[in-house]
Amino acid sequence: MSRLSAVKPAYWISGVLLVVAVVVPLLVPTYAKVDPHLWGFPFFYWYQLMWVFLSAILVSISYKLLRTEERRRRAAQGLGDPEAPDAGAAKEGDQ
Amino acid sequence: MNTTVDWVQLIIVVVIFGGVTVMGFMASRWRSAGHLDNLDEWGLGGRSFGTFITWFLLGGDLYTAYTFIAVPAAMYATGAISGFFAVPYTIVAYPIVFMFMARLWSVSHRHGYVTPADFVGGRYGSKALSLAVAVTGILATMPYIALQLVGMQAVFETMGLGGNNTLAKDLPLLIAFAVLAAYTYSSGLRAPAMIAFVKDILIYLVILVAIFYLPHVLGGWDSIFGAAQEKLAKPNPATGKPTGTFIPGEAGYVSYWTLALGSAMALFMYPHSVTAVLSTKTRNVVRRNATLLPAYSLLLGLLALLGFMAIKANVNVKGLDGLANPQLAIPRLFDQEFPSWFAGIAFAAIAVGALVPAAIMSIAAANLFTRNIYRDFIKKDATPAQEAKVSKLASLLVKVGALVFVLGMDKTVALNLQLLGGIWILQTFPAIVVGLYTRWFHRYALLAGWAVAMLFGTISAYNVVNPATKKHFGGSIANIPGTETPAYIALTAFVLNLVVVIALTFLFRALKVPDGKDSTHPTDFVADRGDPGVKDLPEILDDGGAATAKS
Repeated sequence: MSRLSAVKPAYWISGVLLVVAVVVPLLVPTYAKVDPHLWGFPFFYWYQLMWVFLSAILVSISYKLLRTEERRRRAAQGLGDPEAPDAGAAKEGDQ
Repeated sequence: MNTTVDWVQLIIVVVIFGGVTVMGFMASRWRSAGHLDNLDEWGLGGRSFGTFITWFLLGGDLYTAYTFIAVPAAMYATGAISGFFAVPYTIVAYPIVFMFMARLWSVSHRHGYVTPADFVGGRYGSKALSLAVAVTGILATMPYIALQLVGMQAVFETMGLGGNNTLAKDLPLLIAFAVLAAYTYSSGLRAPAMIAFVKDILIYLVILVAIFYLPHVLGGWDSIFGAAQEKLAKPNPATGKPTGTFIPGEAGYVSYWTLALGSAMALFMYPHSVTAVLSTKTRNVVRRNATLLPAYSLLLGLLALLGFMAIKANVNVKGLDGLANPQLAIPRLFDQEFPSWFAGIAFAAIAVGALVPAAIMSIAAANLFTRNIYRDFIKKDATPAQEAKVSKLASLLVKVGALVFVLGMDKTVALNLQLLGGIWILQTFPAIVVGLYTRWFHRYALLAGWAVAMLFGTISAYNVVNPATKKHFGGSIANIPGTETPAYIALTAFVLNLVVVIALTFLFRALKVPDGKDSTHPTDFVADRGDPGVKDLPEILDDGGAATAKS
C-alpha cells in the first residue's frame, strides 16, 4: 500500500487510461455484430472507427497529465525546459 | 482489361514524380547543420525533427504504399479478419508506443545509439544479442522494401505500362528505383522527410474524395456493405467454405485480436519506425505524435472500405498474366470510377507513397548493418565518416537486393517473407521493450528465447497451407498448439519466447552464468534534450561522432 500510494496520481491515472485504450478495442465479442447501423455502416465497422477517436482522446489526456508531472519533476531537479529553442546547443527549431 | 497506355494518367504521374525527385535532391540542404558525413546527419536527419515534421515522416513511414494496396485488397478478397484488423491494430499501437518509446529516445540520445540493436548491445553487454536483433531487423525489412515495389508495379500495370517484353514491363520500376536510390544516397533521411509532405497530402486528398464521391456513384454505403456481405458469404469453389468474413464469428475472435495486438507490438520494433522516432528533437515529440498519428488510422480504416467498394463496383482484377490478383483492386477501382486526371493523381500518390518508406527502410537496414555488424565485428575502430560511407553503400545494396527480389523472383516469395518478417520482428520485443524497464532478463536467456521463437514461428508459418493453391506460407494464422483456436503465429511465438526467457533466466541466475555489463544508468531513461550528457548534434560532432560517444 505504501509503495502504491507513493506513485504519483498522474502516473497511475494515465496508466489506466492507456490500458483501457489497448484492451477495449481488442474485446472483439463486444462489437462483432451487424446492428445497430449508423449511416449505412454495420456496428462492427463504425464502432471500431469511433475507437480511433476515443483512443486518441485517452492518449491525449495521458500526455497532458504526464507532461505536467514531468515538468514538475524537472523543475524540482533544476533541469531546463527541453522545448526551449536554446536547450542543448543552439539550433534552429521547427515548431 | 486495360492494355493501352493512358496518357493523361501517365503525364500526371511523371510530372508529380519529377517534382518529388527535385525535392529529394534539394533536401540535403534543408535544415542542415553540418556535413552529411556522419550517421547522425545522414541516417537520422541531424536528430532535429519536431512534432510537425515527425507526424508527416512517421505517417509516411508506417502507412506505406503496400499498406494502401494490401489492406483494401485483403478486404476485397477475404474480408474483415485479414483486412479490417488493421484498424484495431493501428488504434492500439499508439498507446503502446506512448508507454515505452520515450524511454528508448532518452537512453539512445544519452548514449548515441542509432539503432535498437545498439541499445540492446549497450544494455545487456552482449554483442551476440545485439547481432540477433540487427539481423532480425534487416531480414524483416528487406522483403518489406520489396513489397513497396510490388505496390508500385500494381499502379504501373493499371496505367497500361508494361507489354510483353521484360524490359518494357520493368523499365518504369527500374527508373523509379534508380531515382530513389540516388537521392537517398545524397540526402539521407532528409529526403523522405521532405517527400513525405507531398505523399501524405496527396493520399489524404485522394482518400477523402474517394470516400465521399464513390458511395454516391455506387449507390450508397448500404448497398456497398450489402454487396460485400453477399460476396464474402459465397462458398469458395475449392474449399466449400465461405470466401471470407464480413463480421468475425466466434471462431474468428482470437484471430482478430491477436492479429491486431501482435502487429501493433511489432510495428515499432521495425528498424524504420525506430529510425524515424530517434530523428526527433525531444523526448516528448514521439508522445505528442502518438496522440496525433491516429488521424492516419482513420484514413486507413476508410481506405480499407475501398476494398468493399471494389466489390460493389465489380472491378476486373485480372492481371496481365490473366490470373486474378486482388492487389489490383484499388488501382482498377480508381481507373474505372474516376476521370483519368484524378486517377493519375491517385496513382502518383501511391507511387510516391512507396518511395518514402522504401527510403527510410533502406536507411534503417543500412544503419543496422553499419553499427551492429560492420563496426561491432568487422572494423571496430570505424570513424563516423567511415560509418556514414558504409551506411550509404549498404542502403544502395539493400535496395538493389529488394529490386532483384521483385524482378527475379515470384511475387509470392516477397509476400511470404514479409509475412515471416512480421513474425520474426516481434521476437525482438522482449530484449528491446522489456529491457527499457528492467535488466532482470538474462542475456543468454533472451538469445535462447529469440532463437526458439524464430524457429517455431517459421515452421508454423510454413505449415499453413493455402486450401485453394496447396502452397505453403498460406497465411499468418495457425491453431495454438494443443488447441483448436486459431491465432496470429507471431503472438503465439512471442508467448513461447517469453516463457523460455523467464525459465532460462531463473536457471542462469541460479547457475550464476556471468551477466553482461550494463552501460546504462536509470536516469538515462528519463533524460531529455538539454540535460547533462544528452547530446545534441553539434556536441556529437565535437566529440568526434556518435560512434565514440558511448560512455
